[in-house]
Amino acid sequence: MKRCLLLAVLAAMATESGAIDLDKLKKLEDKIRNPTGQSSPAPQAPAAAQDSPSAAEPSSPQAPAIPPFGNVPEADEVKIGRQIAGNLLGAAPLVNSPALQGYVNRVGRWVASASERPDLKWTFGVIESDDVNAFAAPGGYVFLTSGLYRLLRDEAELAGMLGHEIAHVVKKHHLKVLQKSQAIDAGSTLLKKQIGDQKVAKTLIGSGAEILARGLDKDAEFEADRMGVVLAARAGYEPFGLPAVLQEIGAASADSSSVALLFKTHPHPDERLARLGAAMGANFDKLKNSKTHQERLVRLP
Amino acid sequence: MRKILFLAMCLMLPLGAGTAQAQDRGVALKADKLVAEPFADAKKVGSLAKGDAVTILKKTGGWYLVKGKGPQGWVRMLSVRRGEAGKSSAAKDVAALSTGRTGTGQIVSTTGVRGLSEEELKAAKYDEKELMKAESFVVSKADAGKFAQKGKLLARAFNYLEPIKGRP
Repeated sequence: MKRCLLLAVLAAMATESGAIDLDKLKKLEDKIRNPTGQSSPAPQAPAAAQDSPSAAEPSSPQAPAIPPFGNVPEADEVKIGRQIAGNLLGAAPLVNSPALQGYVNRVGRWVASASERPDLKWTFGVIESDDVNAFAAPGGYVFLTSGLYRLLRDEAELAGMLGHEIAHVVKKHHLKVLQKSQAIDAGSTLLKKQIGDQKVAKTLIGSGAEILARGLDKDAEFEADRMGVVLAARAGYEPFGLPAVLQEIGAASADSSSVALLFKTHPHPDERLARLGAAMGANFDKLKNSKTHQERLVRLP
Repeated sequence: MRKILFLAMCLMLPLGAGTAQAQDRGVALKADKLVAEPFADAKKVGSLAKGDAVTILKKTGGWYLVKGKGPQGWVRMLSVRRGEAGKSSAAKDVAALSTGRTGTGQIVSTTGVRGLSEEELKAAKYDEKELMKAESFVVSKADAGKFAQKGKLLARAFNYLEPIKGRP
């Protein structure tokens, strides 16, 4: 009975928030497709959306017919990412440990060097928060919370987590979300102007790190998982570091409010693990000399 | 209304709901074989059926050494979900959320606990000084290479994985 009530309440909450977000998305879509403001017939009625369990995910709409993304010059991408990173750091500052920050940058830079964007000015950091979460911003900014860092048992797990975030940057997942939301879409007059300085990026992004609270679509997360394990493997690490952390997050959530945002913005770890497991299969069986470097993991102060 | 339900739920939840499960318990997510060593072609020593409860004794790479009803053996790590049998970690975690900050719309702060909620992210103010500090820790590709060399980390080619069609 208790469970029933709980489920009912949760379902109600989920569909409610899902409906709101879908509605918002729909409006954005309409705006992009039809900038003159005439409303177009809804391809998916909100009521129907509520019935579907996947509709509870605010970020999993069926791929909308958005025009192809314009190319954002790398310099502009970095300015946008810099603004988001600065906003995030305003909410949670760096953990005060140069040894830890230096270490995370060395591991992260090495893993990023195995990616398709090895020459970005990659910036990694551990931020003060008991929440379990990690964030990536365009242009090569990657942050883990101290709550997540605390769960790590070796360097391979760190490499895997960073690999997942690096994948978001490589695939420009957040940049694409911003483009969809018209903050910087191809038709926007702001984009047509060169982003001259940080001030303009500030105008585009505004304050707050809402983009990081909103989450990406599920497929982007699954893709980043698959890429994260490969990036760690390419960098010489044991590829099962990322799934080990996901198992840890799925199993041990004593202070469960600490995973609230992570669970809201990502598919559940069980689903991520099932997909990642199926994709990994026996593909890594022949890999030799992978390192975990448990002894080298720098602990939180 | 939702709030009242929430309160009701909180009262009904036994104290300690959502606390950590024993770390060494696990459940087989699918049927898989148990092998004598953590290698795919090692000798088969038993098998797990979907839903079997196991104790996780050890972890090596992508493998767990587990003990269930039968003999102990190594199983692919991703064939096992950590946590107690019959308890979805989703339900457990979300249940505990009702006692926390999310869903109530109120930030419940606990001394010494610093969260990073959606509200806090949205309200965040740009901090140039902290950002410059973060950027001061950036290392060059060459320095990262030296660090890797020290740890005998060898760069190797590996293709990205194909996505799985449908639900696994």
